[in-house]
Amino acid sequence: MSTLHIVVCIKVVPKPEEIAVDQETMLLIRDGVRSEINPPDMNAIEMALKLKDQYGGRISILSMGPLFFADYLRAPLAMGADHIYLMSDRQFGGADTLATTYTLAAGIRKLGNVDLIFCGEESSDGATGQVPAGLAEWLGINQLTQMDEVVIDPKKKLARGRREIKGGHLTLETPFPVVISAKTACNEPRFMDYTIKPWAFEEGRITIWRREDLEVEDDHIGLSGSPTRVSGLKQAPGRSRQRKFLKGNPAEIANQLGKILQATS
Amino acid sequence: MPQTQIILDDTTWEELLELTHGAAAVCFQCGVCTATCPWGLVREETLSVRSYMRAAQLGLHKNGNEDLWLCTTCAQCEAYCPRGVEIADVFRGLRYLAWKRNQPHHGLSTLLWSVYWNNNPWEQPPSQRANWAKDLAAPQFDPEKHEILYYVGCTASYDSRAQKVARALVKIFQAAGVSFGILGEDEPCCGEEVLSVGHKLYFREMAEKATKTLRERGVTQLVTTDPHSYDAFKNHYNDAIQPLHYTQYLAHLIDQGRLTPRSPIPNSQSLITFHDPCYLSRHNAEIEAPRKVLSAIPGVELVEMPNIADDTLCCGGGGGRMWLETEAGERFSDLRVEEALSTGARILATACPYCIACLEDSVKAKGIEDLAVMDVAEIVAKNIVESALHER
Amino acid sequence: MVESLYNVENENPAIWVFLEHHDGVLEGVSLELLSRGRQLADVIGWELTGLLIGHQVASLAEEAIALGADRVILAEHPLLEHFTVNGYVHVAQQALLEYQPSIFLSGATPDGRDLAGRLAVRMRTGLNADCTDLRLDPKTGILICEVSGFGGGVLALIEMETHRPQMATVRPGVFVPGEADSGRAGSLVSLEFDLPPEIIQTRVVERVSGESLDLTQLPILVCGGRGIHGHFEWMYELANLLGGDVGATRPPVDEGHIERQRQIGSTGAICRPKVAICFGISGAFHFIVGIQEADMVIAINNDPKAEIFDHADYCIVGDTHEIVPALIQEIRDWKMEVGD
Repeated sequence: MSTLHIVVCIKVVPKPEEIAVDQETMLLIRDGVRSEINPPDMNAIEMALKLKDQYGGRISILSMGPLFFADYLRAPLAMGADHIYLMSDRQFGGADTLATTYTLAAGIRKLGNVDLIFCGEESSDGATGQVPAGLAEWLGINQLTQMDEVVIDPKKKLARGRREIKGGHLTLETPFPVVISAKTACNEPRFMDYTIKPWAFEEGRITIWRREDLEVEDDHIGLSGSPTRVSGLKQAPGRSRQRKFLKGNPAEIANQLGKILQATS
Repeated sequence: MPQTQIILDDTTWEELLELTHGAAAVCFQCGVCTATCPWGLVREETLSVRSYMRAAQLGLHKNGNEDLWLCTTCAQCEAYCPRGVEIADVFRGLRYLAWKRNQPHHGLSTLLWSVYWNNNPWEQPPSQRANWAKDLAAPQFDPEKHEILYYVGCTASYDSRAQKVARALVKIFQAAGVSFGILGEDEPCCGEEVLSVGHKLYFREMAEKATKTLRERGVTQLVTTDPHSYDAFKNHYNDAIQPLHYTQYLAHLIDQGRLTPRSPIPNSQSLITFHDPCYLSRHNAEIEAPRKVLSAIPGVELVEMPNIADDTLCCGGGGGRMWLETEAGERFSDLRVEEALSTGARILATACPYCIACLEDSVKAKGIEDLAVMDVAEIVAKNIVESALHER
Repeated sequence: MVESLYNVENENPAIWVFLEHHDGVLEGVSLELLSRGRQLADVIGWELTGLLIGHQVASLAEEAIALGADRVILAEHPLLEHFTVNGYVHVAQQALLEYQPSIFLSGATPDGRDLAGRLAVRMRTGLNADCTDLRLDPKTGILICEVSGFGGGVLALIEMETHRPQMATVRPGVFVPGEADSGRAGSLVSLEFDLPPEIIQTRVVERVSGESLDLTQLPILVCGGRGIHGHFEWMYELANLLGGDVGATRPPVDEGHIERQRQIGSTGAICRPKVAICFGISGAFHFIVGIQEADMVIAINNDPKAEIFDHADYCIVGDTHEIVPALIQEIRDWKMEVGD
């Protein structure tokens, strides 16, 4: 039996509270913004690591984005992943879901012989949650999404996942290879192993793939492969609380509250 | 119940020896530690400290052991240990082994990741670290201009209850004419919670990073809100940064005549009892300073609880317990507020953000209305600041 | 650029809604989409079509028509009894290719996302996901989708010029379902399709109804603290009316008024509801951590100095036992008005 090969697709995202929109250019201001690994992706990494704990094999982390991502990608290596690949090229930039999933699929094909592909449920910056399904489609393989728990049978090459649904749960089973998205907060990502960490943070741990390293068509990647366009961008009002005191007798207060609740539903 | 599995091997033994500098080696298993552990006050089956010392001596490791995370590192046992074993350190060593085996208590990995991504254990945005001081004249620290760096710490930066303590301190500093600065967003987390939950290697990395920042910023003298930060800087950083807990610093200011309380405390609040935070009293033998500061306020009458100084009763918040749930009926702070009530005091004073949080919870839970939990800084700010301002 | 399987040149003027259903009942978000879809269709004079895939589900078509659909395309097959992404995408694609609608909408539910995410790639078109608003340019027929990113901190408007269909998944709860009108006329068309059994590779092992509690993903969170003196029955009543669930601070959990799994905060659940309503909660930091990601916080406490008010958008100084019954009455009244 060949050893299990797991890929985890992850993304580095700016910390949500630090992001701002430049009112003139209508672009996101990303300079000097602190980033982190997309929190749901950490759940995907943990899900993959649990399987590696159980069955052995190797875990490849795959990401797409600017070169500065590399600094952040070392954490999963220190958690127990084996390889990190960063697809980084100007031509990949500006990709929407269609182009992103296409490019990720190209990266996975280049890795080859993949049994399981894990993703976070969604990214905190885009929050589209459509990458796992799109990726599975480009690869022509199965998908198990928003999973709270996954067990596998490596001999039969079957994955079985459980998803919590309203008032119960749903259990699905599908053969390898399969794209699995981990439900946000479904597990507690382990902290880095400090006996591995020095190795993980050494130079040269990360493989960078450029446009020419991948078998992709130019009109399928980045901005030119993205049919959708952002036509407007605005910053939502900040999270500072209004602290507005409502006055009146209980009926009057209930009336005001009713209107507020109605407006939000 | 999680399954407990006992493992005995030489590697573990060697690792533990190194992690704890052989702290447990001199233990002769008398069991005073178990007998004095405050868990015995709230649990039928107490934390068997002695058996952990035995485990450390033999290199035993128990898998899936939840009890390991009960220790609040309050060091009550150390105060009584006839062999002077650094028991809290042994617990931290055993916890590190659990980390190495990927078996930390549920919730603690999240705590460490928060420190890693956010520079604080409370999962709060790093960019908002200085928000508490927005409307205050608390300048960025400048070694040319400032006598001290006020090291606020994570809890006082974010917890709105503890922020009041930080604000009170700023007022006091200003009233006493102390030139001080803060590091704002750049203030590094001291890592005390990482140390408490036993991740020694991560703590070491944090300490190195924080030391570098403090050096680069030209810090020599810093004053902390939190006794835990004070302890970390003083006893666990390999550097000549001189930390003072703020109670110590205020005591100096009073000695130097820079801070002179004049206006008396109202009669209704004059009876005050002081709860010694473990990390001031037991870990750092600082018993006098907070009492001196309180006594300097005209009209204050200090009344003592049965368990003070070396014998203080832990609030239950140390050792990472602030991030773990403690069952109702098992909280040391419940016992502590009863003790405070028995003195007749109207104010239960303390000088640690964790103590405030735990004690205040217990006061509320018990529905006690005539006992206020206050930080020493808050009491001083109320009663010294005005008089000091009058002098100017 | 990659070409979609059909485009704006050969689109048909129709808005399609994927009619999601479970246990013989249409999903709430499908009703909401029919309502919004109807509005958009009327603005531009297009047809609103429901796509209904399943097994023995024809009765749901009538409901969809009563709720605003002009037409329902029905695809029935025993293999389609349960949602499987392989089967449903296979059928949906055939329907899209046959009718070539301009717009295809589905709910941003787990099944809706599975379907749309996969279908969009198969059609080689764009997809706007988890939209919080939909508008239609009446001149061009271009769908303008509002999506939020960065935890709701940034709103973006996204559109697509040439690729078709214009696909969007929509967050449940952003639109209000309309009223059913059983007199409405509409047509039911059966889709001809092929469905080789081997394409369905996902097996539904079990689908179980039962208790599950996930406070972290709720739209409405009603929280009780010490100040409600154990009256969680009020909290449940209110939560049920609002379509939410109940959380608590530590003290009532300690006192045994409610189970520990419902504790909110740093040692409990961290929640991000649209609205958190906090009754009799003082506002200790370890609780606040659990609701600070809420879009809106409403706090009711009889102590005007309670810390919770520093963390609330709407603050009410008053007694829970007076406010709750009044609020329950208020919500009932409003639900009667909208005919719920």
